[in-house]
Amino acid sequence: MFGERAVELVRGLHRAADGHLPAFDEDGARRVLEEMKALYEQNQADVNEAKSGRSDLIPTIKFRHCSLLRNRRCVVAYLYDRLLRIRALRWEYGSVLPNDLRFHMSAEEMEWFNQYKKSLATYMRSLGGGEGLDLTQDMKPPKSLYIEVRCLKDHGEFEIDDGTTILLKKNSQHFLPRWKCEQLIRQGVLEHVLS
Amino acid sequence: MFLSDFRREFYEVIVSQRVLLLVASDVDALCACKILQALFQCDHVQYTLVPVSGWQELETAYLEHKDQFQYFVLINCGANIDLLEILQPEEDNFFFICDTHRPINVVNVYNETQIKLLVKQDDDLEIPAYDDIFRDEEEDEDDSGNESDGSEPLGKRKRFEEDVVERTMKRRQRREWEAHRREILFDYEQYEYHGTSSAMVMFDLAWIMSKDLNDMLWWAIVGLTDQWIQDKITQMKYVTDIGMLQRHVSRHNHRNEDEENSLSIDCMRIAFEYDLRLALYQHWSLYESLCNTSYTSASLKLWSVQGQKRLQELFADMGLPLKQVKQKFNSMDMSLKENLQEMIEESANKFGMKNLRVQTFSIHFGFKNKFLASDIVYATASLMENIEKDEPGTDNFIKALDSLSRNNLDKLHQGLELAKKQLRAIQQTVASCICTNLIISQGPFLYCYLMEGTPDVKLFSKPVSLCLLSKYLLKSFVCSTKNKRCKLLPLIVAAPMDVEQGTVIMVGIPPETESSDKKNFFGRAFEKAAESTNSRTLHNHFDMSIIELKMEDRSKFLDALISLLS
Repeated sequence: MFGERAVELVRGLHRAADGHLPAFDEDGARRVLEEMKALYEQNQADVNEAKSGRSDLIPTIKFRHCSLLRNRRCVVAYLYDRLLRIRALRWEYGSVLPNDLRFHMSAEEMEWFNQYKKSLATYMRSLGGGEGLDLTQDMKPPKSLYIEVRCLKDHGEFEIDDGTTILLKKNSQHFLPRWKCEQLIRQGVLEHVLS
Repeated sequence: MFLSDFRREFYEVIVSQRVLLLVASDVDALCACKILQALFQCDHVQYTLVPVSGWQELETAYLEHKDQFQYFVLINCGANIDLLEILQPEEDNFFFICDTHRPINVVNVYNETQIKLLVKQDDDLEIPAYDDIFRDEEEDEDDSGNESDGSEPLGKRKRFEEDVVERTMKRRQRREWEAHRREILFDYEQYEYHGTSSAMVMFDLAWIMSKDLNDMLWWAIVGLTDQWIQDKITQMKYVTDIGMLQRHVSRHNHRNEDEENSLSIDCMRIAFEYDLRLALYQHWSLYESLCNTSYTSASLKLWSVQGQKRLQELFADMGLPLKQVKQKFNSMDMSLKENLQEMIEESANKFGMKNLRVQTFSIHFGFKNKFLASDIVYATASLMENIEKDEPGTDNFIKALDSLSRNNLDKLHQGLELAKKQLRAIQQTVASCICTNLIISQGPFLYCYLMEGTPDVKLFSKPVSLCLLSKYLLKSFVCSTKNKRCKLLPLIVAAPMDVEQGTVIMVGIPPETESSDKKNFFGRAFEKAAESTNSRTLHNHFDMSIIELKMEDRSKFLDALISLLS
């Protein structure tokens, strides 16, 4: 009551580790909204009575109004923080999200994500003299263009940018352009060998 | 063909290409591979590394990758067999072979286009001359063409007679030439031996290009030490090569001698040592190390009660309390460790061990990390043949490769523990073989079969461990036997390899004598014996003197060997 659910909502998100996107708490959000609705209706009734002379109700009305404002603030904070996390996902995972993450998003968030994706793509296409530039690669300048990777499972043939293919077979080791491997490292096919 | 300028003919050719590295599973090959990898990383050469443990794997690896690569580098495999015949490569595939196996197949030597050998020319290769082994077939066709030329009817008869004489002459010449060729080839291929370590060849390449690092130098040292521990090269060759490496060591490590601007303790330093040849003693206890080193245990005959007594006497002579020698070397009293090497050497001399100290190198980094080259060899080799988990061989290869980098100390320590287990297992097996007289003289050679169910027999189904065991076994046997003739005989050891498939792995090693040139004739002998008895054998290993055969064929194979060699 009086904002506790809203705080719970925020706290739930806060508990999740940085950059991790928990499932959208639809139930919690709905209950906060219900609470707000109830508060509003009670206030509405009391305001009408206060107008007719019951001035002792005014502190109660003020308190309910504060709770309303706090609830709103919490819900907005919850939604905004989720958006920030979703935006970070685009940079981390690329334009296609893994399925389990997609289930964690609400329909509206999904739509926002798609729009963000689109505008980012449009922007990246416009860069680099018409050729486009993938900004999500190499957020920090890499130490070397090539890295040594080891194959953790049989993956089959893999084409690199000069058109040649290589065979990714378990326990073979390769020296490949860094940006070609990153995807596969994330998928767990390759492992970066540090020596 | 042999390359003379490795930089121009090898490195500068592949530096702009994508390369497939095929690396055999021995420590020397790993070290050579490490050096090459470091070079490739400097120059951004894109490569793929595939471990191969035998001819079959080499073939499959080639077939899988041949469409994607043009340039192949083979390390410690491929020189001693006609590579073009077994791989059947396209004409635009090129093979660079850096291999210690000798003799090099003559077809590989004289192929001018596809096979390039990265081999030091100063090894005495004794390659037969081209004209002695190859002959252009055209000569014969020429005279068959002449036959139809006889157009004048008068001279025809005469010509015909001349022709016949000429042809029989030619045929006889050809027969003689072929007999001569067979003889030459037999002499050339009879003995199998090893040349300069591949790691050293690769280090030389790095040095020529001024890209050598201290780390590479260390790998070259480990490669050479591996050859020595596996008994692949003569003591002479070892000492000469150590001398060569020592020059590089002092070139790279002279900064430490300067007191004023010495390097940080964390930097890696290599130092020349004249150290004890006790296996892993700095990471073990002195007692355990003495018991499990083949040299000491064979000289003291530790498998007998008298031997154990002699060991106690030795410690008494050195003035080392048993309590001290049985604890970890690291925890021994500092006062005892001060002149330890001289002390041990002096006492060992009295017990007939003249060569307890040997030239080697050590590596330091940080405060507590000090390793001898032999420590690394034992650790890496045992990681390579780790049998504890039923993993495919390539996993072990990768682990062994990792253990060679200084960042992976945990893997190295794991390897050291494994190596101790391996050495103990070898020692116990040697002791039990000698005590139960399992080594039988078969006439031209000694023979020992490890029964199914012997402890640790699984370990000896791996070629390197089995070789190590046979070397230790022969050394100990020579020390234990009174029969003078038996001391000069080579040894064949067989162990069960795969029980379900009923296969046996068999290895032959040359006789153990002071002046042994480490040349091994069992490779050819095995081949011949298998041919004459139609045994189901498999020459899968890169060393020809290691063979796999069916359990049931073992006795007839041995009979054939005996009659062949006596």
